[in-house]
Amino acid sequence: MDEQWIQSVGIDVGTSTTKMIVSRLRLGRMSSTFSLPRYQIVERQLLYASEVHSTPLIGFDEIDADGIGAILAAEYDKAQISLSQIKSGAVIITGETASKKNAQHIVHLLAERSGDFVVATAGADLEGVLAGKGAGAEKRSQAMQGVIVNVDIGGGTANAAYFQRGRAIATVTFHVGGRLIRLSPQGVVQYVSPNIQQWLTAKGLRIPVGQEIGFAQLTEVAEQLGRSMLDYLTGKERQVSGLLVVGPHLRDAIPVDELTVSGGVGLLMSGPPVRNIADASRYGDFGPLLGYVLQQEREKGTYPVQWLDPDQTVRATVIGAGMQSTEISGSTVHIKPELLPIKNIPILKLELTEEQLADATRLRQEVASIYQLGERLFEKTTGIPFALAISGIGYCSYALLQTLSQELSEQYRATFPESQTMVVICETDMAKALGQALALRCKGAPEIICIDQVRVEYGDYIDLGEPISGTIIPVVVKTLAFDERP
Amino acid sequence: MEQQLDFLVDKVVAELQKKLGEVSEQAPSPKTETGLIQLRSEPKAEPVANATAAPTPAPVVNEQPAPSKEPERTTHVPNPKYKEGLDELLSSTPARIGVWRTGVRPLTKTMLELRRDHAAAVDAVYGEVSQAVLDQFSLFTVETQYDNTENYLKRPDMGRILTEEGVRMLQERCQKKPQVQIVVSDGLSAAAVDANLKDVLPSLMDSLKSYGLTCGTPFFIKGGRVASMDHVGEILEPEVLVLLIGERPGLVTAHSMSAYMCYRPRKGMVESERTVISNIHRQGTSPVEAGAHIGTILSKMLEQKASGVKLVL
Repeated sequence: MDEQWIQSVGIDVGTSTTKMIVSRLRLGRMSSTFSLPRYQIVERQLLYASEVHSTPLIGFDEIDADGIGAILAAEYDKAQISLSQIKSGAVIITGETASKKNAQHIVHLLAERSGDFVVATAGADLEGVLAGKGAGAEKRSQAMQGVIVNVDIGGGTANAAYFQRGRAIATVTFHVGGRLIRLSPQGVVQYVSPNIQQWLTAKGLRIPVGQEIGFAQLTEVAEQLGRSMLDYLTGKERQVSGLLVVGPHLRDAIPVDELTVSGGVGLLMSGPPVRNIADASRYGDFGPLLGYVLQQEREKGTYPVQWLDPDQTVRATVIGAGMQSTEISGSTVHIKPELLPIKNIPILKLELTEEQLADATRLRQEVASIYQLGERLFEKTTGIPFALAISGIGYCSYALLQTLSQELSEQYRATFPESQTMVVICETDMAKALGQALALRCKGAPEIICIDQVRVEYGDYIDLGEPISGTIIPVVVKTLAFDERP
Repeated sequence: MEQQLDFLVDKVVAELQKKLGEVSEQAPSPKTETGLIQLRSEPKAEPVANATAAPTPAPVVNEQPAPSKEPERTTHVPNPKYKEGLDELLSSTPARIGVWRTGVRPLTKTMLELRRDHAAAVDAVYGEVSQAVLDQFSLFTVETQYDNTENYLKRPDMGRILTEEGVRMLQERCQKKPQVQIVVSDGLSAAAVDANLKDVLPSLMDSLKSYGLTCGTPFFIKGGRVASMDHVGEILEPEVLVLLIGERPGLVTAHSMSAYMCYRPRKGMVESERTVISNIHRQGTSPVEAGAHIGTILSKMLEQKASGVKLVL
């Protein structure tokens, strides 16, 4: 088997729009026939992109599950794809929609209805990263020096992700979006999101709800909002603009060289000029105006960044979710196919130093303390309490392998006797050897799943798909936060 | 892993330069040569010393080779325009890039490194596998008709046939018609066996155990070529045979080992019937992982009754 295609789906349920894509990923053997097998995703093709649908809501704070189900069923039909063909992918609930009251429930429901191994996710950080990947910022960062930031501006929030040399280095989310201010065609303000009230006050701006708003006044608000976001992103000013930030702030200033804007508002940047209130309110909100003022900022060039056109605008997140969320584990692994797929396993990270690896007593203490942490953090379960990610092992000799597997298995069985499956993720290529050593010790109690060459961090969740051709495991790492790491 | 070794290399070179300085201060020329040789053989001697020190399978975790400071392979390019990019390139390959120059020549440091690596390669060919390593796994030794290293290099055919004495020893001491036969040979790099056997072999044994495969009596062939597995096949008639053999050393490493595997080896086998995992060493294919994977390949060979290009992996 030298290459294989898998189909992957992406579904993005946003504040204002819902879209879906189908893509296929080509797995190719990267290693010669004289080395251990190593597969990678070598190509990602977009097969089908749905129209942009309005997100069906019931009332104001509930997502219409049946409505979304109906949209998807129709789209699957149009794309001529059956659920059984979908091997990977992600459903993501984005923006303010994620805080709607049944969001959690919907996302799992959709994941189940969308194919075997479709992952349910939500979370602004992940959303920003996926959008950045979909918009092409990650790819661009590999070809440039310095940092590129992509900001995906949707209906309720704007998710920014900073990339450097192909890696996401930070994310931040703003209350900036097209639907934060809603208008009637005549320019009567119908709604102003409470999330921007504090910022409006600090800026000395007022928007009269229920009354008509002048075009100049609305333009002023849009300009200020756009500039505040750009101020924060480029590090120009963070006091007032910081009021727009959702969740954690950036830890330190990151100098930015290039900028792309994706999302619905990103698309509106290339729309026709917005000259009056009728132009501005054509979607029932001030989104077109927000896009227009950002385009003018770009033309004026006030900010010391290079603005680039993104590869994707309104579909950046969904394309990121469908095409970029899946990874492949190393191909020499230790698994039991019947135990897969497994979903939503939290990561517990065991970071070892060379001193600890060289001293059996210290290694034992380290393992003990990480298991204690696992015991405190996660509930007891007969399944998988967590996946243990081991890093810091440079070269693994057989002797070290024995000591390590001894400590890991013995203490695991003592600390988590009810768990029937132990999941271990190694950073370097050693999963088959370690898995085998653990399995020889545990003899099925617990069963061992050991994979490698997947980068995970503390706070991530991981999903492992069914093996393709025996040993190729699709992996989706759900990075939920960058700034909450200890 | 790579970085660690490179760090070692840099350290050795630094040490070497320091010593050269010291030596030339203390006494004039002749000692320089000995200093160089000692330093060169230092990394090679290390695993041997370890194996002798701990013949029992005690907790031998403390064999970490390098001091634990942050290892870094640096470029010699003065003031590179894009240092991060250059570092990225360096970490992507063990090749000698970013070495800079003096006039049209390489720097002295680069030349020394090159000559040291070349010397290590030559040493690996002319070296002998440490008896302690063989004893650790109770491997007895049989010889091919290679006679001596010079002849071994000139006459590959003689490295494929065991001596009469060797044939007799196999017949006396080895289990006949085993499911799996493991053979170890020095081939073109004795250093490869010294460096990797203690990691590859036990991992392979574990893997056989996991798959429920039984293994015959393993032994060592001195002066062996890959096709010596055919002769062994004729004598012992194993179902599958794996030969762990030292590879022709290169300038990146002199410690690289290959595993050649074959279903029902016999005289007249063609090369396409052999399966190989090559480049097994610290910086290449991980030895423990290779050992585990060899077990998988062997079990597939038994299942499919085939090897080489006919084997579907």
